[in-house]
Amino acid sequence: MDKTIGFLERLINFAGVRHRVLLSNIANSDTPGYRAKDVSFSGILKEEGVRLMKSNPRHMTVSEMEDSIEIQQRDQRTWKDQNNVELDMEVAKMTENALLYNASIRLLNTRLRMFRNAIRGMR
Amino acid sequence: MDYFRIFDASASGMLAQKIRMNAIASNLANIETTRTETGEPYRRKDVVFASVVMDALREGSLEGVKVVDVVDDPSPFKVVYDPGHPDADENGFVRLPNINVIEEMINMIMASRVYEANVNAFNISKNMLMKALEIGR
Repeated sequence: MDKTIGFLERLINFAGVRHRVLLSNIANSDTPGYRAKDVSFSGILKEEGVRLMKSNPRHMTVSEMEDSIEIQQRDQRTWKDQNNVELDMEVAKMTENALLYNASIRLLNTRLRMFRNAIRGMR
Repeated sequence: MDYFRIFDASASGMLAQKIRMNAIASNLANIETTRTETGEPYRRKDVVFASVVMDALREGSLEGVKVVDVVDDPSPFKVVYDPGHPDADENGFVRLPNINVIEEMINMIMASRVYEANVNAFNISKNMLMKALEIGR
């Protein structure tokens, strides 16, 4: 299968998981003792770089990505109630993440349309 | 991505802020209430939030919030010298509720902002879901 589609699928999945984490931060922005969480992206890119260099297409594993997403607690200064959610930061991150999600879907659609055009011969 | 639990999590955030808003409204309404069922002046109410894991499959990745308790603020009452007041003691001092209007107003604005942030998150989730439905169209 096409590598781009596999990569975009992972990217969309990643953005989906990050959305859940950021959404939890926003819902808990007043919960005492709650620590803001985030997921790392660089690890996935690195891993993906290795994956794309593999010579045998059978080595591709598509649905392992969620296991490689790491949920981290963010270390920032905390308020008196041990909560370290910064609401404006979370909203900004969520907007940015939604853009990444939407852009990935648009790219995926473009890729699929290219296949469709190739199959139909641009009729 | 499990979308429907996501909507639940945002809704739990909105509901929690609404309950907090109720407590703030009671506090502001009772800012000069000197008589309650306990015989004391009104005590400031505060809500206690706790996070709830909404998705048992992947622990920690989706957490909503709920109000676990409404507590009385134990800080001391304000004491004002007002001998004409019907609830004044023999020295002319009246005990008034331990409410600070500025604090309540700030809490109210914060509750309303967090509510808006949750609405915003809800809408973003909805747009993402709509976008996902367009894959391959």
